[in-house]
Order: sequence, then structure tokens, then C-alpha cells
Amino acid sequence: MTEIIVVTSGKGGVGKTTTSASLAVGLAKRGRKVAVIDFDVGLRNLDLIMGCERRVVYDFVNVIQNECTIKQALIKDKRYENLFVLAASQTRDKDALTREGVERVLDELREADFDYVVCDSPAGIEKGAFLAMYFADRAIVVVNPEVSSVRDSDRILGLLASKTRHAEVGTRRVEQHLLLTRYNPERVARGDMMSIADVEEILGLEILGVVPESESVLAGSNAGTPVILDNESPAGQAYDDAVGRLLGDSLPMRFTEAQKKGFLSRLFGA
Amino acid sequence: MRVRNRPNSSVEPEAGGTEPLDLLTPQSAAVSAGELRFAQLGIAQFALRSGDPATVHAEIAARVAAAPALLTRAPVVLDVSALDPTPDTAQMQALIEAVRSAGLLPVGLTHGTVNEEALARALELPLFARFRASSDLPAAAAVERKPAAAPRAAPVVGTGSSVGMHHALPVRSGQQVYARQRDLILTAMVGNGAEVIADGSIHVYGTLRGRALAGASGDATARIYCQNFQAELISIAGQYRVFEEHSPDLHGKPVQAWLDDDKLRIAPLA
Ligand SMILES: Nc1ncnc2c1ncn2[C@@H]1O[C@H](COP(=O)(O)OP(=O)(O)OP(=O)(O)O)[C@@H](O)[C@H]1O
Ligand SMILES: [Mg+2]
Repeated sequence: MTEIIVVTSGKGGVGKTTTSASLAVGLAKRGRKVAVIDFDVGLRNLDLIMGCERRVVYDFVNVIQNECTIKQALIKDKRYENLFVLAASQTRDKDALTREGVERVLDELREADFDYVVCDSPAGIEKGAFLAMYFADRAIVVVNPEVSSVRDSDRILGLLASKTRHAEVGTRRVEQHLLLTRYNPERVARGDMMSIADVEEILGLEILGVVPESESVLAGSNAGTPVILDNESPAGQAYDDAVGRLLGDSLPMRFTEAQKKGFLSRLFGA
Repeated sequence: MRVRNRPNSSVEPEAGGTEPLDLLTPQSAAVSAGELRFAQLGIAQFALRSGDPATVHAEIAARVAAAPALLTRAPVVLDVSALDPTPDTAQMQALIEAVRSAGLLPVGLTHGTVNEEALARALELPLFARFRASSDLPAAAAVERKPAAAPRAAPVVGTGSSVGMHHALPVRSGQQVYARQRDLILTAMVGNGAEVIADGSIHVYGTLRGRALAGASGDATARIYCQNFQAELISIAGQYRVFEEHSPDLHGKPVQAWLDDDKLRIAPLA
């Protein structure tokens, strides 16, 4: 059984692509066969974060328009042989995606026995975002601890409950998870950032994981290494925990408390 | 405040969270020139009690001014059955113009006598079934009705009696849930930017952060109850209040709202 997971948010720049890459790697690391698809046609950057941008020959739009086979377009990851990337087209626009085309690609991935297909959604609630979520079995809604992101997540959760195939057919609901990213416990402690409890309360959902704000995310993106592969990074470890929880592990939340400042850092104000 | 039409659910009200954006339609170039669909629309009716355009204009303009968000450019069906004699074409045109210039958009007449039907034909207006005003409920039904708290003008539309509509999912930003001619009972939260509307009363067993509009067809005896009051707006029979800031004695508290002689009152539930 293939499970389709959409990573979505409504608001832009909150960490969807970062999350998609780390989620895909985290699942692959645990032995699952995974494809991760960039739905952000025209603004492809999943391939950069996955570190395979130089090997993109065919993309998602080529497959949809029957210009190549899915096999030709899937780029095998250099680290995990059970992980594949389907890049977005940089030159086409969003209208190149069609519902029938997306459905066909997903069906072919089902036939190829993928365990998970991770769909990296573009921002907004337009066609690209809609198509990324439409066929989902599970949704990871990426939210930052700020009011506009929370509001957009609420909107997206509403769309997941009404504008997906599961919602329309009515057989089951799309499983929904919140992933709180770019969390800064120090700023929460100071009272200038929303807390985990605030976000859970407003959205009426439990949080799957909390990824702290961390410089290693950008460093990893620049190097084409998803942050989950950085064992030293709090963000990487938090992503790994979140993937574990998604697969049923019960793991305590980490990196959610403000660091007690040590004597030296207090002395030097670091 | 955003100007918008009164509740009209393009989806069956029972379908729950209705998402006004139709992201699905423009998928494939349609061969046919259009698509014919039928929906139950919640539409307002106005029973004319005066044949004088100036009086009608003043009355409607006052109502629209009191509830612009709900009423501005709201479609309305005119019921002329109380006018004797039935207005002739010229007088009816003047009345329609009076309603239009006061802010509502007349879209038809109610079924009635042969004269009224001839009038509709002369004006090329469609005919709609007439709501049962509470004044013409059969006597037996009238006995069952609780004696009204205080004698007041009959609402434009009676809500009739029925079991309320139950909605168990969160209502999220951008979603609208409408209980036509009955109460609306919500057992989950109502998010910011979400709208819950009922011709009867509204009961929210959760946090109300969005908008709640009870008595949406004019029933001034409708009430709003909620467990945790943080609403953006509440309205009963067109009398509304916007909350930019909440007073601490209401915020987060169980609260009820009702109309006291056309004044919207809100108080903590003891
Ligand atoms: N936990 C984090 N700590 C620090 N920076 C982060 C974190 N998560 C994401 N970022 C940074 O935020 C920026 C946006 O991230 P990303 O591209 O993943 O967001 P997105 O939601 O996919 O954006 P878009 O809506 O444009 O597709 C990037 O520069 C990324 O490095
Ligand atoms: Mg992205």
C-alpha cells in the first residue's frame, strides 16, 4: 500500500521543502521506498535541497505531458537507493499540472510499490497547492509560531477536510498532523513568540513535532544535505523524532525549552 | 468590514464546512457551453407591508445600515401578498427600485394569487415559494410555540421547528457552515475567519473565534451560546457587533448573546 503524504502550509517560506526533504530521507533511512515530488512548478528547489540538481534531466511536467516515463524522471538519491526525487520544472508554469496527470503519476508510483510518496506543496491555495493535497492520505501542515502562519494553517486544514479526494468521496478523512518549525524557545520564554500550547489551542490539533530554529538548516540546504542527516543539529534530531512519531514511536519532545545559560555565556552575553 | 452577501450555501447545508472557492472547475476545457446545477440557496424574503416606495426605501435602508455585512447587496425575494390591491406593473417597478436603491437586490416575487403571478410575468421575474411567516403558522403549531418573551414585530421569516443541525468538525478559516431554518450545534471550535450561520440559535461547545450569525433570516429570538468566547463578530437578526478587543469579563468565558429590544446583549453564562 502506497501512502501519499502532502507537506503543505498555505503561507510561504515556513519550511515545507525543508520538511519534505527531511521527511523523505527519514523514511528512506528506515528502509521505506520513498518518492518525493516537487509540486512547486516554476520555482523548483527540492532538487537543490536534496543535492541532485545537476542530475535533473526530466521533470514532473515531462511525465505529466507524456514526454518521458516516470522511470526516466525519477532521480535516485546518492545516499539511499530506495529514495527517489521527482523534480519540478523550472521553465513551465503551474498550468502544466493537471489533476488527471497527477493522478496518473501517483498511480504509477503505486504500481511501482513505493511505500510513501511525499508531495512538497507550493505556498498558497492555488492550483499547485490544491493538486499537491488533492490525492493525499496524510497531511503534514507546517506551521511557524506566528499569527499569520497559524491562520493560513487553519485555512489549509479546512481545505484538507473539504477539497481532497478522500473528503469528496467521503470514505475516510485525510490524517492531519501539525509540524511546528522555526521554533525559538528563548523568544517564547520572553513572550514574543507563540508557544506550542498556543498553536495547539488555536488549531485544535496536537503537534507531531517541534523543529527549532537552527542555522544548520541553511547550511544543509546549501550543501544539498537535508538537515535530518546532520546528527549534531537540534533541527535534524527533531526531524528524526517527528518521522519516528509518524511511524508510531512515542518519543518525548526535545529542544522546546529555553537553554539555561551557563556561567561563561552569561558572562560574555552570548 | 467586508461586504458580502448573506449566507447562501452553494453546497447542501448538511455537507458541513463549505468552501466557497471552487478550485476544481477549470480543470479541463469544457465542451458544453455551461453546467446546470441546482442548489438550495438561503435567500431572504421581504414581506412588503406598505405600497409606498419612499416608506419601503427608508425601512430597508435602515436595516441595511444596521447590518451592512449581512445585507448589503443581499438577494431578496419580495412578498406582496399583504398589499391590497396587488400593485400594478408601474407601482411594482417603483417598489423594486426602492428596494434596490436601499441596498438589497430583488431577484423575484413569491408565489401567490393569479394577480401576483401575472405581475411577475409582466416584470419577467421568477417566482419563489413563500416562506411561512410565523403569523400564518396553523393554530395548532402556534400553541406549541413558547409564548414569546415579549410581544415584538413578527420576524420576517419563521424558523419553524426542527432538530438542530449538528456539526462535529472544527470550522476553519474560510469555511462557512449554515443551518437553514434551524439551530446550529457545533461540538468543535470555530476558527478565526470562519463563519457559522443559522436561521435559529447557535450553540458552540468549543472556542468561538470566528463569526457567528444567528437569526440570519430575521428571527430576533435566536441566541448565541458558546463555551469560550473570543469571537470576531456576532450577529442576531442583523444586529451585530464587531470585537476588535474583548473585555476581560467576556474573553475566554462561557457567554450567551441575545436581542433585547433590538439591542444586542452579551453576558457571561452563570
Ligand atoms: N528550522 C529552521 N531553522 C532555520 N531556518 C529554517 C528552518 N526551516 C526552514 N528554514 C529556512 O527558511 C527558508 C524557507 O524554507 P523552505 O524553502 O523549506 O520553505 P517553504 O515553505 O518550502 O517555502 P516556499 O513556500 O517558498 O516553498 C529557507 O531559507 C530555510 O533554510
Ligand atoms: Mg518550498
